[in-house]
This record gives sequence, structure tokens and C-alpha cells, in this order.
Amino acid sequence: MFAHARPRADESHRLRHSVAGRPHNLASQGDLLNTKNSFTTHTLANGLRLVIEHMPQVRSAAGGFLVRTGSRDEPSELAGVSHFLEHMCFKGTANRTCREITLGFDRLGSTYNAYTSKERTLYYGWVRVENFAAQLELLADMMCSTIPPEEFETEKQVILDEIARSADQIEHLVYDLIHEQVYAGHPLAWPVLGTTETIAPLSRDRLYGYLTDRYHPANMILGVAGAVDPSSILELADRLCGRWPAKPPRAERKPPSPAPPGHLTRLIDRFQQQALVLAWPAPSETHPDRETADVFGSILGGHNSRFFWNIIQAGIAPNVAAGRVDYEDSGLMICWGFAEPDRAEALLEAMQNEIRRIISEGVTEDEVARVKNRIRTGLALEAESPYHRFGQLVSDIDLFGRPRPVEERLAEVEAVTPTRITEYLERWPMSGSPWLTSLGPREWPTA
Amino acid sequence: MERTETYHHLQLDCGVELAAIEIAGRKTTTLEIRVFGGLAAEPPDRLGLAGIVEETIGKGTAEKNAQELMDAFDMIGAQVSSAVGRESMVFRFSCLPEYVEQALALQAEMLRTPSFPEDFCGVALELAQQELTALDDDPGELARRLIAPRAYGPLLGRHELGTRESLRRITREDIISYWRRHFSAKRMTVSAAGAVDWNRLRIATERLFAGFGEDQGGDRGPIPIDFSPGHEHHPKNIEQEHILFCWPGLSVADDDYPVERLILAALGEGMSSRLFTTVREQQGLAYWVSAWDEHPRNGGMIFVGAATRPEHVDQTYQAILREVERLEADWTEEELDRAKTGLMAKTCTHGELTRARAAELSGDLFYYGRPLPTDEKIDLLARVTLDDIRRYLSAHPRDRRCLLTLGPVPMKATG
Repeated sequence: MFAHARPRADESHRLRHSVAGRPHNLASQGDLLNTKNSFTTHTLANGLRLVIEHMPQVRSAAGGFLVRTGSRDEPSELAGVSHFLEHMCFKGTANRTCREITLGFDRLGSTYNAYTSKERTLYYGWVRVENFAAQLELLADMMCSTIPPEEFETEKQVILDEIARSADQIEHLVYDLIHEQVYAGHPLAWPVLGTTETIAPLSRDRLYGYLTDRYHPANMILGVAGAVDPSSILELADRLCGRWPAKPPRAERKPPSPAPPGHLTRLIDRFQQQALVLAWPAPSETHPDRETADVFGSILGGHNSRFFWNIIQAGIAPNVAAGRVDYEDSGLMICWGFAEPDRAEALLEAMQNEIRRIISEGVTEDEVARVKNRIRTGLALEAESPYHRFGQLVSDIDLFGRPRPVEERLAEVEAVTPTRITEYLERWPMSGSPWLTSLGPREWPTA
Repeated sequence: MERTETYHHLQLDCGVELAAIEIAGRKTTTLEIRVFGGLAAEPPDRLGLAGIVEETIGKGTAEKNAQELMDAFDMIGAQVSSAVGRESMVFRFSCLPEYVEQALALQAEMLRTPSFPEDFCGVALELAQQELTALDDDPGELARRLIAPRAYGPLLGRHELGTRESLRRITREDIISYWRRHFSAKRMTVSAAGAVDWNRLRIATERLFAGFGEDQGGDRGPIPIDFSPGHEHHPKNIEQEHILFCWPGLSVADDDYPVERLILAALGEGMSSRLFTTVREQQGLAYWVSAWDEHPRNGGMIFVGAATRPEHVDQTYQAILREVERLEADWTEEELDRAKTGLMAKTCTHGELTRARAAELSGDLFYYGRPLPTDEKIDLLARVTLDDIRRYLSAHPRDRRCLLTLGPVPMKATG
């Protein structure tokens, strides 16, 4: 919804690199992650699921609603409607005008926003705990937007401007292009923002119809993390959301049938770099192989990785990485990079060499331990932040139907070994032809 | 929950200025080392040198090669990062508390005995040239680079990537020379937050940096801003037109800085701010419009930025300008209270993050020369009145501005 300002800074510092790491023995440090947090889950009579994490060590609370709808739930002619709706939920309700909503948040000192992805729309706010009830009332009210007609056309111009902004960002375009290639014909191929062609003719009534169809308890999750009293949150949630009418959950999503591997290139000569993406099938968000895939991706293309030492530090390209893109029923292992156009062949060859090498040689114990340790420190940092815990909680409820304790997530990571990664590469081979997407000033490679 | 926080601040015998906030209940520690120098300390024909030093200083020491050094940080799970700024560089890590001393020892080894291998120096220079190419595909950052020389002048207005020509001139000897001149205990502050054992940190820091750069000067003097009002348009074939303008503000250490900070919040922070309301909510002119401030040690610069489709550029500029020029108008107690609440609340929410607290403490040493406890910051904001706002705005007209546009069309009017 809101593009953040340039971060306030004492100086114009820019992150150049960050590395993290290894230790074989950190897992034995027993209670480091024991935050004494506790979870409460509940389902209201109308079907709205609640999850609350009590964090006694903090003074603030974050919370909001996850709506289980995104661009993959849209018909092609409405591409971008979920994201447009996210904007319009800030525009007015039966109880509040747009101005009253934003004033309401800012008078609480809230850090608030919303975003839309291919599968979800998330609304959230983070405040001092004494203001949390008032913030939740605002968020709950926004879920019952009236889509004010007088705001509709003005906001449409904002969305069209956001689409123009995205068109100037090569990384956005190549991300959309790889989805267009792999998921051709399936809604996962639609860009989250939609296109000028789908947004310009969109009517307020179609948007409102989409709202009433998707924003109801069976399709939503309320999450809260922070210094809250769970019982008072349950009472508050019942008062604010208990009367929302129950409706059946949305229809099950149709799994994608990925297109055959091949090349897709797009010539855009205003860019100075060539963007390159290689992709292979990978585990979905809930697949048991997901942690192994992520450790593998980090070894190949994360910090202190094969790509870092053998491609970036070989001077071939400054920005090269690997990782997983995942959805509820599909996933991709992608390797991507941005290079000066005359270095595109060298970048592609270097990436392919590293992939071949990791398949044939496997990974080492040290490499696996390094990634585990980064995750462990990352979990400790996450545990301090109500905002990050909230995001994890609602995601866990959506995907697993329950909150997952930090210890459980850590145990899943600890179970990854070099042998498991070898087995993973047998189940999810990267030796065959990938999907290859290239975007930039060269129409390359040709099929 | 009542949180126990203990502040420490000490000038160590080794020359390092050390500060820490012990925060009860935290399970991580973040430590930030700031070295005075930065972009402004580069020789004028070696622009980009500070960034190259920052990039290569971690590529090996007297005892370890590049990968061994990175692996050593990984051995203890330390998440390490670094950055270069106008007047300083920072090196930071976050880790579990029992590894703080090991991580600090590694940082000290890296800062004190870098080997600057020839091949990594060459790669860093090559990658910087490629980053300059990448910068051309990032219009927001490019606009900020282009306005900086006008906003700050030739020293503070430098960009970390330098220029293609200056990068070509940089040698390994230049890198070593920069390091020798600017890296010493007397030119360093160390700031830690979270699960900190003050005594152990103090002893370790004293030991690890004793004798570091003893023959170097300890000059930390701030550099003045050299502002040049005016307008530049930079043509570029992109979808949006970027508008950036700025005018001088106050130093963070100025008594009126809290007043300016609240005015800025009302102007451009949050969705109920004046700019967001007028430009985006009411007129739908731009997805991104904002105001922010930047602060070299000796002053400040207030920026307003927006990006819009070319057909809306004049209207967007005029809408922004109107809000800037009428900044004195319509202030109410409610607007002031809202701005105060926003800033005060974020000291609580964002203050939950140990990394944010360490960065804030490092900034306090940089600007104030001492830790400024959260309660003191909140009190400074709380004391601001509407009369202070009016007095500030009357004393600081915003009529000397620097304007930059980047995109396919120049604006018609820039008054």
C-alpha cells in the first residue's frame, strides 16, 4: 500500500555485504531460544481463526489480518484486483472515512501497512501495547470496506502509477517474466499489480463483488504477537469480528501444470543490464523437503556461498544469487543474476558450472553447518520482534494450521545433512534443462 | 512490562570511545564499530576509494585468507555487515551473547591487520564499475546520487561508487594508504546493545584495540555542507519522472532539531501526513511521495521526493511545492500531538530490535558525543509547542532549494 520513504539515516550508508554462518556446536546451547512465549489459538463461531503469541519480554504488539486471496485467485480479466482491493481497504468503511482511518493509525503511533502477494493479502500494524486494542478495531473495520465510489478513480490512478514504477525496476520485470514463462496459462503467471489493460477498465462494483466474495471469516486469519493478554484479545476479537457473516471457504486452488522447460527472452533496451533467471521445480511451501531445499539454495547462492566466491568474487557480476520461490502447491529453485550485457554469456556459463559442480561433488558438512548457524541467529533475532513473529504466526496458521514453535523450526533445519541434500537433488534434479528467462537490452539467448 | 536498561559510556585508554546499552531479557547482542573517515576523506582524484576499502578490508588478514575470515565469523553465527557513509564507515555484527568477544576479536583482526590481497582489490574495482552500470537501472538511487553534489557540495556530496575515471586510477597502494590514515583506535567508536556484559566488553575492547594506529591523528572534525540552490533536469528513458528537491536543515545536535523533526513528520511521514494526503490520497498523482532528512555531522538536509508518470509531473511538483510553501499554515495541537505520538511510539516499537538500538547508540555518539537515553529523546519531543513550530518555520524559510528531475520530460515550470 505505502511505499516507504528512503530510510532515515545518519549517513547514506548502503549495505554492501552481510555474511553469516556455521558452528557445528551451537545447537547444544540449550535455552538460547527459549523465550517463554506461549501460543493461543481459537476459532470464532463464524469460522475466523485466531492465533496469539504472548511475548512477555516486549512492550509492544503487532497484529492484523491475513486474507487468503491473491493474484492467483483472480480471473485473467481482473488481474490485479486483489492488490487494488488492498489499497481500497484504506479508503473508507461504514464507520470511517479514508482520512479517519489514516488519522486513526497515526494517532496511535502505529507502524502499519499492507501488501499483496500471489496467494495472500496481509494488513498489519505495530504499536505500543496500550494502543493495541484501538489498532485492532481499526484493522477489523477496514476488512469491511465500503469501497467508497468517490475514492475509486483517484486510487486507480495511484495503482497505474505503481505499475509504471514497477516497469522501471528490472528485478520486478524479470520476476514477473519467469512466472509468465513457467506458469503460462495459470493464474500464478499474472503479475500481482495487474496491468494497465486490466486495471484501467476495472469498475468499482466488480471490486466490491470481489471483496464480498473473498473477505469473510473462513478465508481470513487474525494474528497477534506481543505483550498482550490472550484472553482479552479473544474477547476483543469476538466483539469486533464475531458478527461477520459466515460463508463457505473459497474453492480449492487449481494446481499449476508448469510449461515445458525452454527459453523466454524479452528485449527492453532502456535497461543497461541483462537480467538472467534459471529455474527448476522445487518443493512447495509445505513440502517436507522445503528446509533441505533452502539450505541447499543458501549454499549455492546465499552469503559465503559458491556463487559469492566463484562468480561475484571472480568479477563476473556483482549481483548473483539462488533461492526458492514457493507457493502452496508449487515451487521453483531459481538462480538469478544481473550482468553487463556483454558479460551475460559468462554469467550464464558460471552459474551452470557451479550448478554442475554442486550436483557432482555434493556439499560439505561445513557448508551445511554454516547455513544452520545463520538460521539459528536469525531465529533469535526474529524472537525479539512482535512484527516478525506476527508475520510468521499467520503464515504458519495458513500453511500448517497451527503455530510452529521456534524449537520445531530449528529442529527441521538441524535435520538437514549433506546426505539429505544429495537425496534432495535426486528427487528435485537440476541436471536437466531449466526454464531460462532473459530480459534486457539483448534479445539473448535465442532458442 | 518494565524494561531495565543500563547505559554505559567510556573513553578507553586505547583511544576507542565505547558505549553500551544493557537491555535486560535480550538474547542477542549487536555491536557497531564506526570509523571516522568515509567518502569525504577520499583524495579528490580517487573517488570511490572509501567504498573499495570497505569492500576489501574483509578479504583477508595477516593470519587468515578471505574465506577463512568469513568462515570464522560463520563459526560463531555472527551476522556481519558493513557500510560506507559520508563521514564514517560502520562495521557491525549481531550474534548470540556468548560469542560477542570472539566476534569482536575477529572484527579487530580484520580492521587492524587487513592484507588487501591484490586480486581481491582488482575484483572490487571491477565490480564497482559494474555497480555503476547497475545504478543506471535504479532511477531512485540515481536521482539521489545526482542531487547530492548540489545538496552537499564536492566533499559530502560524493557517492560511494565514485566515477568510472576515478575508479580506474585507484591502486592497492591507495587502498592501503587510506586504511593507514583513517583506521585507528582514536578514530573509532564502538556501540553495543542487547545482552551486553559491560565489564567484559570494556576489557575486551581495550585489549583488542590497544596500540592500534598510535601514530595516527585523532581528528574527527565535522565537514561543512556546501549547498548550491538550483535546478537540474537529467533526461532518461524511463516510465516515471523522479522529482527530488531539498533545502538545508539543522544539525541533529541543534536545540531546535526536535522541532524540525516534528515538522518533517507532519509533512511527509505516515499516511495522514500533508504530502501523502494531498499528492496521493486526494489527487492520485503518485504512488510514492515522501519527505526525509539526512545528516552529516555538521548539518542537515531535508528532502522531498516523488515519482510519477510524465503527464503528471508538473501537477505533482506544484502540489508538493504548495505543501512546502504553506508549511506554516493550519498547524493545530492535534497535528503536533500526532507527530509527537508517531515518533515517540516508534522508539518503543522499533526499539524492541537490538540491531536498531545499537545503530541508534552509534548515531548518538556520532552526533551528540554521548548516549542520549530514550527518555531524554522523548522528553525533548514532548516539550515542543506550537509556538516552537511557528518560530522555527519563520526563522527557516524554504526558499533556497535544490531541485532535480530525472526522466523523459523536463518540467514546464520550476518556480
